[in-house]
Amino acid sequence: MIPFTKHTLGNGLQVVVHEDHHLPLVAVNVWYHVGSANEAPGRSGLAHLFEHLMFKGAAHQPHGFFEPLQKAGGSLNGSTSADRTNYWSVVPEGATELALWMEADRMGWLVPALSTERFETEREVVLNERRQSYENRPYGLAYFALSEAIYPSDHPYHWPTIGYPSDLRAATVDNARAFFEQYYHPANASLAIAGDVRTDAVMRLVERLFGAIPAGPALLAPKIPAVPVAPRRLLLEDRVELPRLYLMFPSPALFTEDDAVLDVTADLVANGRTSRLYRTLLHDRRRAAGLGAGQGSRELGSLFQVVATAAPGIMLDELRVAVMDELERLATAGPSEAELERARVQAEASFLYRLQTLGGFGGKADQLNAYNVYTGSPSYFEQDLDRYLRVTAADVQRAVRTFLSAGQAVALSVVPQGQRQWALELSEPAVVTS
Amino acid sequence: MGSGTFRAGGGDLVTDDRRFVMPAAGAPAHVTFPPMVRATLSSGARVWTIHHDTIPVVTIALVVSVGSACDPAAAPGLAGVVADLLDEGTDRFDAIGLAEAFASLGSELSIDVGPDTTTFTLTTLTRFMERALALLGDVMTRPRLHESDLERVREMRLNRLRQVRSSASAVADRAFLSAAFGAHPYGHGTLGTSAALARVSIDDVRAFHAAAMRPLGATLIIAGAVAAQDAIEAAERQLGGWQASAAVSLFAPVPAAMSSGLARVIVVDRPGAPQTEVNVGHLGPARNVDEYHALVTLNALLGGQFSSRINLNLREARGLTYGARTAFDFRVRSGTFSCETNVQGDATPLVVSEIFKEFEAVGGSRPAETDELERAKSSITRGFVRQFETSEQLAHAAARLATFELSADIFDRFVPEVEAVTPEAVSAAARRHIRPDDAIVVVVGDASTWREQLAALDRPVEDAEIEF
Repeated sequence: MIPFTKHTLGNGLQVVVHEDHHLPLVAVNVWYHVGSANEAPGRSGLAHLFEHLMFKGAAHQPHGFFEPLQKAGGSLNGSTSADRTNYWSVVPEGATELALWMEADRMGWLVPALSTERFETEREVVLNERRQSYENRPYGLAYFALSEAIYPSDHPYHWPTIGYPSDLRAATVDNARAFFEQYYHPANASLAIAGDVRTDAVMRLVERLFGAIPAGPALLAPKIPAVPVAPRRLLLEDRVELPRLYLMFPSPALFTEDDAVLDVTADLVANGRTSRLYRTLLHDRRRAAGLGAGQGSRELGSLFQVVATAAPGIMLDELRVAVMDELERLATAGPSEAELERARVQAEASFLYRLQTLGGFGGKADQLNAYNVYTGSPSYFEQDLDRYLRVTAADVQRAVRTFLSAGQAVALSVVPQGQRQWALELSEPAVVTS
Repeated sequence: MGSGTFRAGGGDLVTDDRRFVMPAAGAPAHVTFPPMVRATLSSGARVWTIHHDTIPVVTIALVVSVGSACDPAAAPGLAGVVADLLDEGTDRFDAIGLAEAFASLGSELSIDVGPDTTTFTLTTLTRFMERALALLGDVMTRPRLHESDLERVREMRLNRLRQVRSSASAVADRAFLSAAFGAHPYGHGTLGTSAALARVSIDDVRAFHAAAMRPLGATLIIAGAVAAQDAIEAAERQLGGWQASAAVSLFAPVPAAMSSGLARVIVVDRPGAPQTEVNVGHLGPARNVDEYHALVTLNALLGGQFSSRINLNLREARGLTYGARTAFDFRVRSGTFSCETNVQGDATPLVVSEIFKEFEAVGGSRPAETDELERAKSSITRGFVRQFETSEQLAHAAARLATFELSADIFDRFVPEVEAVTPEAVSAAARRHIRPDDAIVVVVGDASTWREQLAALDRPVEDAEIEF
């Protein structure tokens, strides 16, 4: 569905090119296969802080990444997860060389532009981001508390991608340089170019701009300690109006068996108006003020989650029982053929909608890189869709039975300050490292 | 360039001069807005189609020119309640059944209530277009509007109102809108207030619905991989019979807003909050303002994007925030201009005073420099092509034409109009439309650390309880 060619430069850089000539527009997208999972203890937040530094300038563009590309009509951004860091720009066709040149310059020559002053200012920006997006946002610390509780302290998913404030404050510009040396090099990157380009011409350009960047050191995969599966109950007081329950179940990693089955299951259980719990808890009985579910797929292991906000006066235990009962029903009787048919149409449609944009988060270039980095094959799009189209009722039953039983659930109650009585009984206070 | 460059620890590189010189941005990409085919359905509704043939997908947007500004004074939020009730069921479906029907087309209906319009949008596969139009026809012409559905919608909206109270940005937005517009119909958002919501009856809903959801003045936009004639014929089959249930629309035209004239500091105290949400601004012009293109350019220069003055100052130079942005919120009859940011608590007074300095400077001591202006203009004109990628982007662009009753050549005139903006025009626009003396300052955060310093702003400081 996304025709492409894949090339590997002498220094190990993988390049995926997709031609689409509908508009004079080009998307440039780079994934580095490094995220917060690669951070050393005491250095949490470094991968994300480093992503910020990548926009501050490199040796030959010392004034930063935004001005030249915005002036050229481009839009651009980047993001960091536990597993990877991505950078994208979307530019008018005439600025293709500029966008590639900018990426090459920071892939090869970032360090000379990395000053202590820049590092320290950007650290303050990130601390502001943390306070704005998490600490000062209702329920904003819930996932931090859950990660710390579910993953042992030496597991790479134990700490939040944005980092602990104490680690961020202790980090130095030398840590950032070392991080760049270790992880930011061609053999740990994948470059996707989508849009109004000619493959042979753009590959000549790529070779000229990226070809001389030295290959970096070989990388070790992060160690992955086992995730203990045991029921737990936690509580967190927050500046919120209504108590909310998070039920989390450790589940199979991204693109492994049952990952897509659980994604479909999440939609069936509590995602959107067509889900089972929306009908019972929200529409019919009005016990919940909000509902959601998801298979949070990640490279080293996932978390299946159901999140329910209580309507005023409703106890979280009632919501917990309703969720577990619904999962039990799914395990016993499975989804109906109508539910599965709807899931198939929605999968087909959502994969088609994903072909609408060249760039940005989730655009075609980003998808090609995601598939290339996680599966080694940019063509995984079709197989990915196929995973959803072939989900059967028996698959859902098996996955629910295997992964979503009460004995596997970590429950977090987030309650208004000073109102612990709204939490599930016997919950222990959650730890959020600051 | 090129000398002295190195990759630390990576050994020497042979420098290649050409490789180290930043390439130019290249020639701008010229695009024109795809032609629209226009027709009128026998119901009186307009239908506009836009052919966009990349993948077999169609976006349908129906714009009805009634929004939250039409809420009765005693019932802020009523337009939003009516919109919520429209997809709670039709003669054929209950709320869940309707959602399932859209889902089985790979689609979902979203209803957006703005100040001036209500817009129904859905994207579906081309092969389901007519079935999607049929469902939209049900929603528009045969909604149930049952009492029991109202009770559910009321409860869900009350819960929502209760939850947004703990969001600093929602509190600040509400405080700002209400201070800037006062009792004007633009002075409240679509959620309304709990007190008003508690009073709404099903008769209120039905009366508002009859007056608001009328084919005359409504615009149905169909953008995507479908031939104009096929789209228009399908629209006629499915929405041609839509009839108004009241003879005349009861809404008085929204007047232009008058400044409440009270520049002030509004403090919403949140003891213990680690950040402060800051909004600084005042009333602004309507969309049909003569200087529209100068204002768009001015905004890009001052605060509309990452590389604008205010973000470079507050984030890039000082590290006081994750981001700061300015915007003109253009509405049909008036608007606002404001700067919004979220900053570390102890930096609140400094940030507010820097925002004032930037507001003053751009119309006075530091007018737009030539280079800076060229950068702002070229980011807008060269970036214009990015707005033509998806059927949804095109449908929403056309929806803006409908909302503001703009002429269809507006998109093709946009780039030359921005290119023609002069430094003098930007300065004049700044002096007229950015007025620090009139500015309202909304600060939501832990006031104990900065309340006294805000007295230096030379305008009254008042503590506010924001009604939700």
